Amino acid sequence: MTVQIGFLVNPIAGMGGRVGLKGTDGVLKKAIMLGAKTVAPQKAEEMLREFCAISSNHDDLHWITCGGDMGNSELEAVGIKNKQVIYSPSGNTTSADDTKNVCKKLLEHHIDLLIFCGGDGTARDIFTIIDKKIPLLGIPAGVKMHSGVFGINTIATAKMLHEFINKRLTIGDAEIIDLDEELYRKGEWQIRLFGAGKGIVEPTYIQVGKAYFESVSDEEVKDELAEHINDELEKYPDWLFLFCSGGTIDYIAKKLNIQHTLLGIDAIYQKQLVGRDVNEEQILTLLKKYPKMKILLSPIGAQGFILGRGNLQLSPLVINKIGIDNIIVVATPSKLMHTPVLRVDTGDKKLDHLFASQGYLMVVIGYRLSRVVKLQTNSF
Amino acid sequence: MMTQITKRNANKFLKDEYDDLVKNHLEWNIRILESGSKPHSIVNGKEVIMMCSNNYLNLSNHPRLIKGAIEAAKKYGAGSGSVRGIAGTLKIHTEVEKRLAKFKRTESSLIYQTGFAANSGLIPQLVGEGDIVISDELNHGSIIDGVRLTKADRAIFKHRDMGDLERVLKDSDKKYRRILIITDGVFSMDGDIAPMDKIVKLANEFGAMTYVDDAHGEGVIGEDGRGIGAHFHIEGKIDVEMGTFSKAFGVVGGLIAGSQDLVNFAYNKSRTWLLSGSHPPAVSGAQLAAIDVLETEPEHVKRLWDNTKYFKKELNSLGFNTGASETPITPVIVGDPGKAKELSNRLYDEGVFALPIVFPMVARDKARIRTMMNAGLTPKDLDFALDKFEKLGKQLSII
Repeated sequence: MTVQIGFLVNPIAGMGGRVGLKGTDGVLKKAIMLGAKTVAPQKAEEMLREFCAISSNHDDLHWITCGGDMGNSELEAVGIKNKQVIYSPSGNTTSADDTKNVCKKLLEHHIDLLIFCGGDGTARDIFTIIDKKIPLLGIPAGVKMHSGVFGINTIATAKMLHEFINKRLTIGDAEIIDLDEELYRKGEWQIRLFGAGKGIVEPTYIQVGKAYFESVSDEEVKDELAEHINDELEKYPDWLFLFCSGGTIDYIAKKLNIQHTLLGIDAIYQKQLVGRDVNEEQILTLLKKYPKMKILLSPIGAQGFILGRGNLQLSPLVINKIGIDNIIVVATPSKLMHTPVLRVDTGDKKLDHLFASQGYLMVVIGYRLSRVVKLQTNSF
Repeated sequence: MMTQITKRNANKFLKDEYDDLVKNHLEWNIRILESGSKPHSIVNGKEVIMMCSNNYLNLSNHPRLIKGAIEAAKKYGAGSGSVRGIAGTLKIHTEVEKRLAKFKRTESSLIYQTGFAANSGLIPQLVGEGDIVISDELNHGSIIDGVRLTKADRAIFKHRDMGDLERVLKDSDKKYRRILIITDGVFSMDGDIAPMDKIVKLANEFGAMTYVDDAHGEGVIGEDGRGIGAHFHIEGKIDVEMGTFSKAFGVVGGLIAGSQDLVNFAYNKSRTWLLSGSHPPAVSGAQLAAIDVLETEPEHVKRLWDNTKYFKKELNSLGFNTGASETPITPVIVGDPGKAKELSNRLYDEGVFALPIVFPMVARDKARIRTMMNAGLTPKDLDFALDKFEKLGKQLSII
């Protein structure tokens, strides 16, 4: 059966990095003036070359791409013939609009996987149009690659593609991370969860015979996590649970019939919503009424941050009041394969030190099942 | 109003799911041994050197075991007539248990129908709601099934990583009533050994119970094959030593060894023990003889280890990677799953029977042939097998 691959290169991605601009959004001209050279087309070619080297049979792959260095030239360069150009950029330089226009076109075709080359900005632009409709695989070429859709490097990305085509990897949730580039260039590093898209993941296996394993879908693993959290809610009826942002927790909330804010923190008491998308002040107010609170967290993005990125409502004051023993971290095993280390950066040295002195966190990875995961803090 | 009844095809899934397994090459191709399980066996009509049985000491063919089985059958009959709890406990069952406890240097012991029945029957009784089972990540499937039957929480520690175990213990200490640490003694994929002395020490610090599945260690490691307790000189200090008569002992049947309190508790509570028929007398007769042989003929264990050391050394000098094995389970790590399967097929064609182990039983890039040594193989047999490994390893560019 033919696999249809969408292929999209953001040729200007990563150009800001070499000249110290930490991003290319809105500053392309400045980057070029500073002598920036393209990065992404070369990275895309590298990935394709590696893929051709490890994958002997690509006759049943059909590539759907865009003109020029937005995809076609790279495929040409490595000799991939079975392709179709469905969009050509209008001007000399490409923009975010081109990316979005391609995505709109791609939706008209039946695409099994969209491979793109760029950074978080590119992922964000693609996700705006594609949402969960097509799984994404990113060739890292931007300045920042925090989203969960990227391979670690070009070689790893080629391997992932190879494994996906051979059905050894499956589709799962992958978070799209956004970073405020304006703030970043001023030296502040603030990422936030932009949305939950689809990516390719290592399946979780359960042993069903002596030598026979079945791969379990991401959903099934998250069903187990939801059942676990349901038990916790029943075990602690007089506690308030803060459901934080992220795809995994969103899934758990939906299973429990709770309307959850994907990108924010909701307060749940006896399985009912008592505060939607709450900020620091609202949490502190809630603490007066509900002094017993637990925080339900899941690592966000490729770096495995659980605190200090994307959920700043959980200020050091809030965490201190709730107590770090009352933090429940959940993650699917496939996600932990991506982020074997969890990170905390609360902005408060003393609190970070408290986390650092633990060094490890128990993470719930299935129904009543947990394991130890290494914890790192920024200050140490 | 009539309710419409769904007309199901009750049996369709049987064929559908089997066909699916076949399509994905996941079905078991059962090989038929026309001989007994011997160092040279006839498998699917072809004579091969057996390197994948668990009959480590070749006791399944030992004249004393065969004699023990026949004599017990003559004396007690072919079957036991009942479950142990009602009217199926024969004197010979209790004799085995006494002899086994002495051999294991524990206060008492209990025989289960199989090793699987021991794990899945006892583990769910040892823990329940409000308790935690802490388990090595590479534990055998029967332990995982036993743990699934409990309402206890579960935590995994990294393979043989005592730092990780200690972290889980620290975290669990305040939260749980009972803590049960479970590990394989000898891990069946890599042939490495759990650091049981350290596990027991940590467990004592936290008041945790220890449970070791010594299926591949029983009859193999420790003085005269007494198992992992003897291996670390901590006999009687592991709370539950679970094992099997089906591997090195050459018969069949699960076992636990430990305190009298453990045994009293276990047979009153294990549903598998209470609800399955007891062993036929011939099984018990062979079990008794196996313990006899281990106590009086140390040459079998010695030969097993001599063979193992020679085979491992020669494989390594040929350039094969044999991983972290410390036991007669010697993996020959090939890497690529296709190559591992190919090597296994060609070895069989050349007269050596050893099976491939591939993902997800082991990591994707760690596909291997798992060889299991047998004390009945002669130096000539081993050289024959090594010769084939060398030839095919070169053909397949593994070495």
